[in-house]
Amino acid sequence: MSARESGRVKDGGKTRVLDDAARKRRARKAVEALEQDNFHEDPHADLVMSKKIPKFADSNEKPTRKKKARSADYYKMRFRKSFAQLVEEDANFRPEPPNYLSAQAPPSKFPERHFCAICGFLSKYTCIPCGARYCSVRCLGTHLDTRCLKWTA
Amino acid sequence: MSDSSCYILDNGAYTAKVGFSTLEPKIVPNCIMKAKSERRRPFIGSQIDECRDASGLFYILPFQKGFLINWDTQKTVWDYMFSKECCPVNFNEVPLIITEPLFNFSSIQEAMTEIFFEEYECQTLLRTNATDLAEYKHRKGNNNECTLVVDSGYSFTYIVPYIKGKKHKEGIIRIDIGGKVLTNHLKEIISYRQLNVLDETYVINQAKEDSCFVSQDFMKDMEIAKGRGEKNTIVRDYVLPDYTSLRRGYLRAPLQPQEELEQQTLRLNNERFTIPELLFHPSDVGIPQMGIPEAIMHSINSCPEDHMESLLANIVLYGGNTLFPGFRDRVYSDVRSFALDHFDVNVTLADSPLTYAWEGGKEIFRDSDFYSYCITREEYEEEGKALAFERFDI
Ligand SMILES: [Zn+2]
Ligand SMILES: [Zn+2]
Repeated sequence: MSARESGRVKDGGKTRVLDDAARKRRARKAVEALEQDNFHEDPHADLVMSKKIPKFADSNEKPTRKKKARSADYYKMRFRKSFAQLVEEDANFRPEPPNYLSAQAPPSKFPERHFCAICGFLSKYTCIPCGARYCSVRCLGTHLDTRCLKWTA
Repeated sequence: MSDSSCYILDNGAYTAKVGFSTLEPKIVPNCIMKAKSERRRPFIGSQIDECRDASGLFYILPFQKGFLINWDTQKTVWDYMFSKECCPVNFNEVPLIITEPLFNFSSIQEAMTEIFFEEYECQTLLRTNATDLAEYKHRKGNNNECTLVVDSGYSFTYIVPYIKGKKHKEGIIRIDIGGKVLTNHLKEIISYRQLNVLDETYVINQAKEDSCFVSQDFMKDMEIAKGRGEKNTIVRDYVLPDYTSLRRGYLRAPLQPQEELEQQTLRLNNERFTIPELLFHPSDVGIPQMGIPEAIMHSINSCPEDHMESLLANIVLYGGNTLFPGFRDRVYSDVRSFALDHFDVNVTLADSPLTYAWEGGKEIFRDSDFYSYCITREEYEEEGKALAFERFDI
């Protein structure tokens, strides 16, 4: 394994090693990425899509609405609050547990398992520069070539 | 006052289950989607069925982290749902049962009350949790004292103990793993290992549904997946839709070297079970939380001791993730191994895991006390939103 590895260390000049904070930042970014609804940008963000939406209950014979329906944008403004704001508010609404925050599952009693970042099988080794897990020389090679410190959080 | 039917909307973060109690529910994507191939229009809810090419679909969802945040999007999707294009209704004439997340934030609760009474002019409204409806349905069918409900959905998985029909809030546990995390994780590892599919949430979500299963013996399956040739009974190819001759992908035996196929394929091996495994070991992706079986035990242990037996004997599973083959059996065997020997453990997968809560709405509408759980427009006009906080235990 060493021939390949030492070659890399050489052409990298001084071996860079991610510090603990950077590793934690990477780990946090990875978890945040799992939360996203889309990875790409809105393909038609530049277009104003037709605002025409089906009218409420305009189907059957009898007219059902007495007043004019309000627009979607009205409610966007009317109820505008971010997730962070709502969590903060909840501290007043439900100051004592049980509440949203207290309901979060506690850590497991079972030991963590580690998987090779490349092939997904169980891993025994940790990459020294970045802390990623790998299982074999082969996977370490792929990791050093394609990931490792190539992108930093 | 009695009506012959009511309108039930189980308003999930990914799909809404909607319809009259006298009919079958419709499962409607609770979002607006935009397709790369279609510049002229967005697709609202089930309109996505009209989209010829769903590659690179972009999602606009009303929910963020499991809560209703984007009201303009939600209003647009609701207007679609309540129109003749989907499931037309006049809330002047029929009661509405609508679900909200557990521990829903107070401003969202207020907004729900306001929009249904003032915008949609509801006559009779019942706001509730989906787990309440699921518990009600289970109790009606089994006449049991306690139920432990597991709802594994898009944003997260909730474990909720019910004692004599009432949720025991101290025992409620939320695991921050749901279908979205699983799909995103699958997207990431496929993108890293073979093909960039980061833009293909819709397609990879289907690949997940078509390919993944819950392992009954994780270490053994890992060994099998390492095997070569015929020894590896897990490895498969997933044929990706090309939207000309194939609209939905499918799983097949691995392509042989001489075989040729029009469509692109993904090789799926340990991915097939390491993805659903996150529900059992969130720490596998660095989320420091208990998995479902451990959380079930934790939840039951936080309930009064004399109800433990009944809770263990009445565990009910529903929600999209419970559809993975092997899900029920794995929950059962893990809980069985954690629980004391002299307790019976029963784990039931709901008959129709996607619409189970909706079906519960149907049952509760038949309850002779149904109207006492609701708020009428007159009550709302007289007493305002405060009454909703008193009556609805969300
Ligand atoms: Zn490896
Ligand atoms: Zn590295």
